[in-house]
This record gives sequence, C-alpha cells and structure tokens, in this order.
Amino acid sequence: MPIRETFWNIPHWAELVQYVLMVLTMLVFTYGVFRRIRRWRQGRPERRTDRLGARLGSVVVHAVGQVRTAREAYAGIMHLAIFWGMIALLMGTALATVDWDVTRLFFGFQFLTGGVYVVYELVLDVLGLLVLIGLTMAIVRRYMLRPARLGNAPRPILAWDDAYVLVMLMLIALSGYLVEGLRIAVVQPEWARWSPVGRMVAGWFIALGDPTNRNLHIALWSSHAVIAFTFIASIPFTKLFHLIAAPANIFFRSLQPGGTLTVTPADREPGVKVWRDFTWKEILDFEACVRCGRCQDVCPAYSSGLPLSPRDVMIKLDAHIWARGNGHALAGDVITPDELWACTTCRACSQACPVFVDHLASIVDLRRSLLAQQKADARLMDTLGTVRRYGNSFGKSDRQRALWTQGLEPRIKDIRKEPAHTLWFVGDYASYSPTLLEITRATARVFRHAGMDFGLLYEAERNVGNDVRRVGEEGLYELLAMKNKAALDKCDYAEIVTTDPHTYNALKNEYGLTRPVYHYTEVLERLLASGQLSLIDRSTHVVTYHDPCYLGRYNGVYDAPRRVLEAIGCRVVEMPRHRECGLCCGAGGGRIWMQETPGAKERPAESRVREAAAVPDVGILVVSCPKDLVMFQDALKTTGLEGKIVVKDLIELVDEAIQGGTPQ
Amino acid sequence: MHIVVPIKLAPDLVEDLEIDAGGAALDRTFLRLIINEFDDHAIEQAFLLKERGGGQVTIVAPDLEGADDVLYTAAAKGADRLIKLIGDFSAGVNCHALARTLAKVIGDLHPDLVLTGVQAHDDLDGAVGPLLAEHLGMPYLGYVAGLTVSDGKCMARKEYPGGLVAEMDVALPAVFGIQAAEKPPRYVVTSLITQAMKSATIEEIETGEFDSGGAAAVERMSRLEATTHAEMIEGSTDQVADKLVAVLRERGLLAPRG
Repeated sequence: MPIRETFWNIPHWAELVQYVLMVLTMLVFTYGVFRRIRRWRQGRPERRTDRLGARLGSVVVHAVGQVRTAREAYAGIMHLAIFWGMIALLMGTALATVDWDVTRLFFGFQFLTGGVYVVYELVLDVLGLLVLIGLTMAIVRRYMLRPARLGNAPRPILAWDDAYVLVMLMLIALSGYLVEGLRIAVVQPEWARWSPVGRMVAGWFIALGDPTNRNLHIALWSSHAVIAFTFIASIPFTKLFHLIAAPANIFFRSLQPGGTLTVTPADREPGVKVWRDFTWKEILDFEACVRCGRCQDVCPAYSSGLPLSPRDVMIKLDAHIWARGNGHALAGDVITPDELWACTTCRACSQACPVFVDHLASIVDLRRSLLAQQKADARLMDTLGTVRRYGNSFGKSDRQRALWTQGLEPRIKDIRKEPAHTLWFVGDYASYSPTLLEITRATARVFRHAGMDFGLLYEAERNVGNDVRRVGEEGLYELLAMKNKAALDKCDYAEIVTTDPHTYNALKNEYGLTRPVYHYTEVLERLLASGQLSLIDRSTHVVTYHDPCYLGRYNGVYDAPRRVLEAIGCRVVEMPRHRECGLCCGAGGGRIWMQETPGAKERPAESRVREAAAVPDVGILVVSCPKDLVMFQDALKTTGLEGKIVVKDLIELVDEAIQGGTPQ
Repeated sequence: MHIVVPIKLAPDLVEDLEIDAGGAALDRTFLRLIINEFDDHAIEQAFLLKERGGGQVTIVAPDLEGADDVLYTAAAKGADRLIKLIGDFSAGVNCHALARTLAKVIGDLHPDLVLTGVQAHDDLDGAVGPLLAEHLGMPYLGYVAGLTVSDGKCMARKEYPGGLVAEMDVALPAVFGIQAAEKPPRYVVTSLITQAMKSATIEEIETGEFDSGGAAAVERMSRLEATTHAEMIEGSTDQVADKLVAVLRERGLLAPRG
C-alpha cells in the first residue's frame, strides 16, 4: 500500500532538532508580530470592530480570494500561483507532520495512506510547480520587464527585501523537489509515477548510487528545513509581513461610505504632525502596503508628472515609523507639501489597492497639519478665507447666489417660505460660474418640464464643504455644514437633489440627513423610466461619458447617467478608462482652488479630453459635474481639440430632447 | 517689545452700497463690515516681528459687527491681548474722533510700535495714523512695506514709484502706516479660531464721547455716474464693419454715401 515514512533517512536527533528549531522560529515570529502590533497601538484610537460578519466576509473575498489582485492578468496569475502554491505546500508539510508525529505517535494510525496518499503526493507535486511558475513570472517582471511602479527610489534598500523574498521562496521550492527526488531515487517506490516532478528529479540522481544519495538527501533535507524556518521567522521583519498585515488591514478597513475621513479630537491640534498622531489603522495601512504600485499607475497626479505617488507616500511613512529619531514633523520632513497638495482625492488609489490601504485618510490628515502651519498654496488659503467669509468660493455676495434664476417665470419656489417635494441644493459652481449659467437654467427647465415640485434655499445655501474638508480645513467644513443643516432643518421637503457630485457626496454621506439625497442623473433616470419626463425629439448623438470621481468611485453611481443618455437616444461609447477606472479631471480635493503646478507634463483634464477625442465616432464628451465642464472646456482650448469634440453637460442633451431639435 | 495694532472695520464692497435718505452717508442697514485690508497687513507685520524678535501683540478693535471675529482670529494667530472699544461706532466715526479715542487707549498701553493700516477704503486721506502719532507724541512713517527691529531702533522699508526702495531708521516708540506686510496675511484654520474663542478673553474699554472736531463734514454723497457708456457692436465681421461705417457717417466723421 502506498505510504511514506515522513522522516525517512532522518536520524532521530535531527527530527528533534527540527522541533527545537520550530519552537525558536515561533518565538522570533511572535516577537516580530508583537513588535509591529505595539507600534500600531501607539497611534490614536479609532473604532473598527463593528459589523464583524461583513468584516470576515471581506477577508474571505479579498484576502483569501484576492479578487482585487486578480484584476490584473499578469500580476494576478503570478501572485495567486505563488500564494496558493505555497499555502498548499505549507498545509502538505503540516499534514505529513501531523500524520507522523501526532496521529501515528499518539494514536497509532496514519491517514496519508493508499489512495489518499497518492492524491496528496500528486497535488503537492503539481502545486509546487505552480509556485515555480509564479516565481519565474515574478523574477521576469521585476528584473526584466521592470515596470516603473516597482521602483524603489524612495528607499533603495527595499530592493534587498524584494530579492530576499524571491530567493527564499525559490530555494524552498527547489530544495523541496530535490529532497523528494533523492528519496525517490533511493527508495524507488512503485507509486513514484504519482510524483511526476519528484520522479524526474530522481532520474538525475539514480546513477550516483545509494550512500551518496542518502547523504545528499540528509544534507538537503536539513537545508530545506533551515531555509523554511528562516523564512517563517523573517515574516514579521520583511515585506512578507503582508501575509498578516494585509488580511488585518482588510478586516479593519472602513465600512463607511468611500472616502470617509478620520476625525481630529477637538482638543488637539489639527491633523497629523508626528507619527503618533496617526490613528492605529493609518499606521496599519503603511505596514500592509506591499508596494505593488497599482495606486501609482492610476494616480492622476503621478501621471501628470506631479511629485505625488501614493505608493511612495506609504513607503516613506512606513520607513519613518520605524526610523530612529522619528518624532520630527511629518509633513515637510518626510512627505513634502508638494506631494500632499498634488492629490485630487479622486480615490483611484484606494480603489485599486488589493489590500485596501486608505491613502486619502493619511494624506488629508497630513494636509490638516500643513494648513494649520500655513504651508499651503496662497491661492488656496485665499479661497478658504473667501469661503469662510462669504459662504462660497467665488467671493460673491450670498444675495447673488440665485441671480441665475432671474427671468425664470414663474419664480422658483423659496423652500424656506413654502414647502416643496424636492429641495434643489444648487452648489457654488452651478450658482455662480458664468460658464454654467445656461446649464443651471436648463436644469430648472427640465425639472419644470417633468413636473417636479422643487424649491431653492436661495441665499441661505452655503458651500457644502466637501472639498474644504478634503484640503484639510475640517473646522471650516464643520462651520459650513452647521449653517447648511440649520437652513435645511427649517425647510419642509421630502428629498434633496443636486447637480454637483461633490455636494452630493457631502450631503449624502457626511451630513447625516434623514431625507434621501439624489444626483440629478438619478432623478432623471427615475423620471424617464416612469414616463413623467416626456421627450419630443430623441437625439442621435454618439457620445462618451466621463465618470465624476465623487459620483462614481465615491458613490457607485455609474448606471443612472448612462441609462439617461440611452433613454434620450444617445449611443454611449466608453473611453478606455471608465467606471471604477475613470480618470479624474484634476479639479477635486481643492485642486481647482490652487495654482497650476509648474512642471506638470500633461494635466489630467488634457489627458482626458485627448482620450475622449480618440474614441471613434464620438463628437460629444458628456459630463455630469459642473466642475468637469469648466475643466474640460479649458482643456479643449489648451489641447487644440476644440473643433474635434465638444463638452456638454448631460442636462443639455436632455434639454434638447424635451424641446425638440438641437439648438446651435 | 509691545506692538499695538488698532484696526478698523470698513464696508465690504462685495455687497451693494446704498446711500441713506439724508444723502450724506451710507445706508448702514444692509452694510456688511470687513477688516480694512491694510489693517490686516498691519496685523500680519506685527506677527512677523513677533516671530523674529519676540514681544507682545495687542489688537484694538471698535465694537462693531465682526469685531469679535477679527479679534479671535488674531488670537488664533498668536495675539496676546485683545481689546474692544465700547462706544457708539454704529453711525461711523471720523478719523479725528477715532485718532483721539485710540490715543487715549493706546497711550496707556505704552507701546514700542503702533502699526496701523496706511489707509482704509472708507477713509482715503489715511489720516488716522498721522493724527494718532501726533496725539501720542510719536514719529509717524507711512506707506511702509517692511520693518526690522533691533536694539530699540527700527528700520522701515518704503517703496516708491519707479521701483525705488528706501530704508529709514526710526527711533521707537513710533507709529507706522503699513501699506503691505512682508508676506500676505496668513490664513488661520477655523478650528484654531474656535479654540481661541473658548480660551481667549476680550477686554472691553469704554471710549466715552467722541470728539469729531477738525474733520471735514460730508455734504452730499452720490454714486459715480457713468456719463457715457460703450456700445458693443456685435455680429459677423461684415455686419460689424457696416454698422461701424453707419455710425461714423451718422456722426459726420465719414462723408455720406454719395
């Protein structure tokens, strides 16, 4: 009957030494993990233990299933092959040990016998091969293809960490096969065909004869054991620590709506000055980062040549946490203000991250501290002063907020004085920007045509504070939110609608309102589906649609605008980067209030209009965010694509469809 | 070193200005006040001096809507004393009355430097600074764009037209009319102002009756009326050209079509 003596050819003392080594390994491992946890616990408290079921589910999908890792073919196959191969080999080794030193020793039976044993041998033999394939892919990628995102510029010493892991894994797999092959070469069991790789290796050694092979076997067995234990002991001291930190980070990830930020206690200075001001979860983020660089690939700031790479931020912060004399100011010494101010808060980084690192939480925390020290763009600080004084970023009187309604008959309801079903929270750009005047009026026309009962807050409306918050001015956000909520509380309405995704995000996810908040595309979708909004003329445009970050990635609204476009007769052709992968226009996170950074290669908005113009047959780039319109119209001029493609707000196309004909 | 910065609140030009029924003053019903821009620079210059050489900064503001905001904001930036002048400022106080009032209060504070905005847009003769200096018996230097203090002496930078800069030594104590601080006024985050509102105290000093003597009286206030306005000619190039020719003919600048 097929069976194997687990410690064949191993003297009893070596078997005992192995167990001593194992205990030592576990001690070193435990100390390493403890040392990391102690570091996390020096961060500020943050509660992340609610909804345990959802958290465990998330670990199953993303840490065990590695769904996000698998999104990229090459890296996905590579990682899954190494991971699952190694897990199987580890479990195989553990099973053999249990079979021999637990069940046989104490209970007098073995379970790895007969049919079970040959299947066990076959599976491990093949999965070992999977590890070798994955490792080869990793070596080819890191040292031959050399994608930019794997560079170690911020900390060159990490190249050794990368190499160490690959070398150790390779040695474990190869020595394992050699040990198996030598055993088969000596014993030559009749069931050796169930270990195809092992039998092949055995073929190389048979000619050497018995005493040589036995000696080689014991030498390699010892090496294999020492390497494997060293590998396990080094987990908490190398990037292998992601084996623990990644599942932990996924377990403790925020289950709040995307992009929810940390709160600085009222009695503390704003933001993060030294590393202990980070929350423990933010510190865990730095440790969970495996430096895969997917965030860097999708970062609009990085691709436009600005000094920000979310990956490098994580690398530098992690290095700083462990550096000697790490008590100095973070923002400025460790991460430069230019890096921090380059972020558009588009969330493409954290959406791409396989281990759910929340880059934005840390970036905004650092921005808070920068802003408190006035280390910010002069124009940004000017704008914040303007918002604080006037309640809008345009520096205009609040009495002019509803100037765009002049001439609309009958006058739009003042919801502070009479109830309406829908409260239209207009937002700064749609209210004050001269470019958007006609579009805001078109929105009112479409709402009226659909028979909506709506009203405005008029001069009681304030900037919603979404971007104010993301530049790190938490106190101003709170002030604005307080004023807006006070105004909303006095009104009689059933739902809120807004055209601005930034406003939408804050009202929906951060204001804690009891009534539902909709983006106008969601409302239009509903009105078209119910037939309440009737069309005179269906358009025949071929269009492409740009997903605004705060509508798409932050709130998952991808389908409503596309369905509206299709309902009015447009054919939507997607750009390469769409939905979750949509490229940011570059305006978010307060960037629209900052000076252009000199030295940028290509602004995100320019990259985006080029992408749109390259889509065959498409003549219109449709947007559903007031800031997008401003950004892209400008980018059309600077790229010289003005004749090639036009930028339109979705509402303009709907307005054409209800009026009949295309007004030119 | 004790630096005192008296500030003014001036009408915010973002809001429309109206003239009251009397015809000689602004209608203050809907007026919104904002810190005089030059005073904001004076405050900034005071903090720059404090950062470089230490000392104490005292801000003095009239009791008007917005004064608390200005004072607490200054506290968040690092002001040591906040003083609010209690009196009837609501109808507007001219620069003579203001200078006399400030002189009484500031004299008691024994300042080394008094920094005022060089002018305010509701008071373009910029007289508060010189008048205050006269009442305090101190020298005055206006249109200053930078100050350096060392050993009881002060070096002031003044910018002149044509790109000329003068540096002048002034014996302290002295009053300076600040045209611009060396850096733009800093932005202080709201949470720090909120904290200052809880921790800082505003001292109140009664002004008593104002003495407006010596000031010119406003007889009539009116809007600047545009006497002519430009007419925009729109249309295609040909249409614009035709219209232009027609207009020139109409005014007799071109011979009528013969």
